Amino acid sequence: MKWLLILGVFTTLQAQNKQLLYGFKDIPQQILLNPGAQIDYRGFIGVPLLSQIHFNAGLTGFSAFDLFANDGKDFNQKLSAIVYNMDAKDFFGFNQQLDIFSAGFTLKTPSEKPIFISFGMYQESDAFFYFPKDYAVLAYEGNHNNLNRRFNLGDLSVNAEVLSVFHVGINKKINPKLTLGLRGKLYSSIVQASSTMNSGSFTTVEGANNSLKHIFDLDMSLQISGLSFLENSNSTNEVDVIRKRLLLGGNLGVGIDLGFTYEPAPEWTVDASLQDVGFINYSKDVKNYILNNYLEYEGIQPVFPEVVSGQTAQEYWDEVKNEFEDLFEIDSTSTSYTKWRPIRLNSSVGYNFGKKILKECNCLDKSDPTFQNRVGVHMFAMKRPNHLQWALSAFYYRKLLKGLQIKATYTVDTYSFKNVGLGVSTALGPVQFYVMADNLLDYQNLAKSQSVSLQLGFNYIFKNNEN
Amino acid sequence: MKNQQFVFRILVFFGAFVLSYSCVKDTDFDQAVPVILTPTLEVSLVQIEETPVSFLNKSGAEVLSISDAIVLELLSEDFVIDYLVKAEFIFEITNSLNKAFDITMDFYDTSNTLQHTFSIAVNNSPTNTLLLTEHIEVFEAGTLDALKTSTNLNITITLISSPTEPSLTTASEGVIALKSKAVLFLNIAE
Repeated sequence: MKWLLILGVFTTLQAQNKQLLYGFKDIPQQILLNPGAQIDYRGFIGVPLLSQIHFNAGLTGFSAFDLFANDGKDFNQKLSAIVYNMDAKDFFGFNQQLDIFSAGFTLKTPSEKPIFISFGMYQESDAFFYFPKDYAVLAYEGNHNNLNRRFNLGDLSVNAEVLSVFHVGINKKINPKLTLGLRGKLYSSIVQASSTMNSGSFTTVEGANNSLKHIFDLDMSLQISGLSFLENSNSTNEVDVIRKRLLLGGNLGVGIDLGFTYEPAPEWTVDASLQDVGFINYSKDVKNYILNNYLEYEGIQPVFPEVVSGQTAQEYWDEVKNEFEDLFEIDSTSTSYTKWRPIRLNSSVGYNFGKKILKECNCLDKSDPTFQNRVGVHMFAMKRPNHLQWALSAFYYRKLLKGLQIKATYTVDTYSFKNVGLGVSTALGPVQFYVMADNLLDYQNLAKSQSVSLQLGFNYIFKNNEN
Repeated sequence: MKNQQFVFRILVFFGAFVLSYSCVKDTDFDQAVPVILTPTLEVSLVQIEETPVSFLNKSGAEVLSISDAIVLELLSEDFVIDYLVKAEFIFEITNSLNKAFDITMDFYDTSNTLQHTFSIAVNNSPTNTLLLTEHIEVFEAGTLDALKTSTNLNITITLISSPTEPSLTTASEGVIALKSKAVLFLNIAE
């Protein structure tokens, strides 16, 4: 129980917003966020397994510190205070991404307008669940003193998936102002489990013929795929199965990313993208569990054998027993199902300023003629089972040196109103390294943080007009 | 070259800053033992509603008593045995028959050994108005253990005859009804 709680606090994290990477034009992985991003290099090769390591986790409603602070207060009192403070809209989220390989190159076309092709494969894990408030209250209080309270069984909403993604994108500068991009994706789901379409309730009311009447209205479902191999196989087998599914042997799906960058004037940049407009069809190794029953129960009615009645006590008892067995009977099927990928929207508006001007005229000057600074705002939104997750950031991007760029962000989202992030990209020759982390203010005490995000990676960049 | 050294220095600084700055302070992760939940459940128990006919035999004469056994399935669940710390059985009896009763609850285990018993005396209602009798049976310590080992509940309604009260007939007025619930106090520590 203890480890479950600790794990729960530190690994149930949120995710997906990459406000530091989005629009960081020196880092090739930004085109995974916006296929229509501006690209000013000839090509890149991501260092295999190291080009993007991303980890993001978050929770709303409380932090580990609230629960585990060494403040002499009773642990169970703190836990109960947290439980009663949270509601069914609070959630836990976790996301992890690992680029397995990625590369991109410029392709000259007969029309003289080059297009940029990028491709690769990454692995992603995503877990998300809402705080099941009514279940927690029921576990804390029971139905005593909760007469007529409708315990909402729909509070249970969880989703988890591990998948691999193969992708190919094209990016084209249509004219000096507009860049468009499109990325096609093939998803291969390794394991998936979700229970997001629950409804129903449990209510205790005053009975007509007895003190109480219990009303069970159950309408719940769980869909899982890809988990059966864990039940009957040895470890070598499991590795084989996972390897196969990583390489398109899992449940397959397709999707696209769309994006653009528009520069109405050299000082202004407007961009937006939609990611993962797509679906996965789950047909292999699928199990659907459905619980859909209704029962009103007022208690047992003894049948006094002396009383003339056609029913014996045992028969009556069997009937009650059967009613309850039927109530909790779970139907299982292996019908295939389709799920939409969680669609994500990114958009930003930026103002560029501060061109580098040399004091002396130098015709051989090879210094950077572009703007050195960009400030702007960025918006992120993502479709979650029961709500829209959002974040707003203000950012400042600065080229410090030719091989060193930084970006700082201040983000407001469901987790926090004081999220400051910093990203650094540096090139030592053609090898680029970047690292980004947010919630820096919380690094004084990580336990107080409600979300943690870290990403880093290495790339080999082929620059334009290299000296 | 100068630039590269500078870049390197900045990176080292950034890394050292994050590493030295980040820590988990003033926390004690050992306090998560045990998590205690203390829910109280209310469960509908037995309901009885009998008219005078129920207490007459085929020839129309009063019987001495009527009884039935009920399987206490819920109480034999591991969950209840492990976590139940106290139970209250709350009975509410209304009688409008001009007949006094004694309701006896006998709790038996699997080998049919009596584990616990109690009786509720119900007065007669000479004018056939509804008379309310309440009884709360509390199970704690020894009686709680008895309850946990019980698997059957035998309910016996015994008729109490008195020279001043008439015998029940098919024409007698009134009804005896029993409503009940169990309040289960759980203490779940994991």
